Amino acid sequence: MHHDFLDRYSRLDSPIHRLPTALKLALALIFVFVTVALPLSVRDWFIGLTITLIGVVALSRIPWLFLLKRLLFLEPFVLGMAVLTLFQPNGVRVFATIFVRSTLCLLTMVLLSNTTPFSAILKVLRRVRVPALFITTLALMYRYLFVLVDEAERMHRARASRTFTRETSRVHLWHALGTVIGQLFVRSTERAERIYAAMCARGWR
Amino acid sequence: MHIPDGFLDAKTAVASAVLSAVGVGMALRQARKTLPARRVPMLGLAAAFVFAAQMLNFPVAGGTSGHLIGATLVAVLLGPGAAVIALTAVLVVQCFLFNDGGLTALGANIFNMAIVATLVGYGVYRLVRRFVPGQRGLILAAAFAGWCSTVVAAISCAGQLAVSGTVPWSVSFPAMAGVHMLIGIGEGLITALVILAIVRLRADLLDDEAVAVAAMPVTAFVGFGLVAALGLALFVSPFACKWPDGLEKVAATLGFEHHAIEKPLLAAPIPDYALPGIGSAVVATALTGVIGTVVVFGLSLLLARVLIPHPTLESR
Amino acid sequence: MKDETKTPALQVSNLQFRYPDGAEALCGVNLTIAVGECVGLIGPNGAGKSTLLLHLNGILPERLESASPVSVFGQSITAATLPMVRRDVGLLFQDPDDQLFCPTVFEDVAFGPQQFGLANERVAAVVREALAQVGLTGFENRSPHHLSRGEKRRVCLAGVLACQPRVLVLDEPSSDLDPRGKRELKALLHGIHATKIIATHDLELVVELCPRAIVLDHGKIVADGPTIELLNDEPLMLAHGLERPHILRHRHPH
Repeated sequence: MHHDFLDRYSRLDSPIHRLPTALKLALALIFVFVTVALPLSVRDWFIGLTITLIGVVALSRIPWLFLLKRLLFLEPFVLGMAVLTLFQPNGVRVFATIFVRSTLCLLTMVLLSNTTPFSAILKVLRRVRVPALFITTLALMYRYLFVLVDEAERMHRARASRTFTRETSRVHLWHALGTVIGQLFVRSTERAERIYAAMCARGWR
Repeated sequence: MHIPDGFLDAKTAVASAVLSAVGVGMALRQARKTLPARRVPMLGLAAAFVFAAQMLNFPVAGGTSGHLIGATLVAVLLGPGAAVIALTAVLVVQCFLFNDGGLTALGANIFNMAIVATLVGYGVYRLVRRFVPGQRGLILAAAFAGWCSTVVAAISCAGQLAVSGTVPWSVSFPAMAGVHMLIGIGEGLITALVILAIVRLRADLLDDEAVAVAAMPVTAFVGFGLVAALGLALFVSPFACKWPDGLEKVAATLGFEHHAIEKPLLAAPIPDYALPGIGSAVVATALTGVIGTVVVFGLSLLLARVLIPHPTLESR
Repeated sequence: MKDETKTPALQVSNLQFRYPDGAEALCGVNLTIAVGECVGLIGPNGAGKSTLLLHLNGILPERLESASPVSVFGQSITAATLPMVRRDVGLLFQDPDDQLFCPTVFEDVAFGPQQFGLANERVAAVVREALAQVGLTGFENRSPHHLSRGEKRRVCLAGVLACQPRVLVLDEPSSDLDPRGKRELKALLHGIHATKIIATHDLELVVELCPRAIVLDHGKIVADGPTIELLNDEPLMLAHGLERPHILRHRHPH
């Protein structure tokens, strides 16, 4: 999995990156929520937000091309659902409204993700008293998701390389998928036990 | 099924966020009480596992591909409380790290995929297993429960879109439920195949007793059920209660008559409008759903037979 | 060889252990490790090396009994002494991915000191020192998944060193390291002044770092003595799935 895009820019040095995470989170939440709640007729907001976001992009030193690629990658998911809005009276208007809102919110969130390391977001969540169990779950998930994705890919490839005949039948693929995911779960369970041991070894209660 | 920002209006976003916070809060509290310390890392790993499993696409007809939600799978393996927490973690990370799913829609996405999918999946699974024991029952229950959880989650999603006035129910319901009746087959199939693989590798992991550690007492389950039911009542029932109406009308005419769609309890900003045939799309979907449920149950039974040709005699 | 009046760092008396599925077992292990010693623990796969190491800081058995066959600096491992044991005996696991579980390097190295109750102001200093000791200054904010295997190993070592243990127990520290990584590790370990027990397949490492070697096979200690002597004993080596390392074949016997 190509996960090097993650965290590639989240630790750059820029005025935006240096802002406190809590502030960035709060601003993102406000921007997104107001964008969703206000009717499009309040043009000042939408124009103002667009200008602000462009300014943030410029200040953040994140390459334009990278942001564009991220947006282009994510837009189809928006469009896929937005298409449904066309099937109603005034559908095109609704579609356009949704598109503008969604894209602005998407840009806001993309900027947030790429100017803030996830570990910083976790620290803020801890401060606002999100339950410790959930924070631990999020932290471990973030830490191990790449490990597991790589493991899954390796198992999948290993399986594929052991297919000598032309067994690309649908049935075979499904069965192989089930086995790979099953093995992944078993390994995850065993790894969780080892992590528990490692946590205890360094004094965890 | 991840809803991006901008599709849900403020009231729906807030309502689903509140419901999700309550539901997840309950799961966390329950886990804190009953989850032994040595199982805590498993929650994080389960979330990572779901994410990794979702990355592996499965081939669907015509070159498209679908992917797993995973709620039923985790609920069967680790109990519904763990599933709620793990799936919520997945959705939070997806939102903040991958920008998959909107921030204001996070509450709704959690409600659909972490709470509703888990409860329906787990509930159906336990129900079926009660009546069909043994390894075949395991496969049957897992497959059918996986399908049901996907479809109901999709219906909830459709309801949220309709209540927000973004997409009328007459479009969102057939679209979401229809598509997910197909994708759900994949979910059911994968869930069953994975459970089977785990049974073969480490049967002890599926020991009902071990799951019981992470399972919940009836009262907690009922509590969850109420949260889910409340949400579904808010998002879906305004539209669902007119089904009998629709059936009658379609029976009377051929769908060309103006089909009066009642206003939902929470008024949508966009006035309802009837197109010829649209009303019957909702009914058609509902009928397909009912038939589909029976068909999928039958298919799951067949699957169980195919995968376990010689069931061993066992008390489970 | 051993001063009777000095408390040994570790003492194991007739340790017996069996996993629930009967896999690896220890059948009566006896050993004494003096303060400051560096001991190599060698043996074939499945001999029980990892299992033994997990007993040394109380990870195993899962349920501690009132009378533990393992004592650390004279104190038997019990529920009461466990925190002290965990602090005094630092364990480096085989797979760095299992031990490096925090989202950033800093948080991971800080984990131990924080769990042991060190004040926040001190924690930052301790982490910096530990990272400097393993040659990873400046890595504080890195994410674990971007590190190489060798770097991850060093972070794990830093995490253990940050707890300032008196005994360092290492499980296969040089496995999957490239030759440069191995050289760096050897230099690192050489510079750490603590009692050390190293379980490894890397016999050259044992020769270069450990004056004493213990051979474990089928859950029993079959040999315990000076490294060169043991490793030169070819029949002994071959009998227990080992072999005389190349480094010794070209040395003149002392």
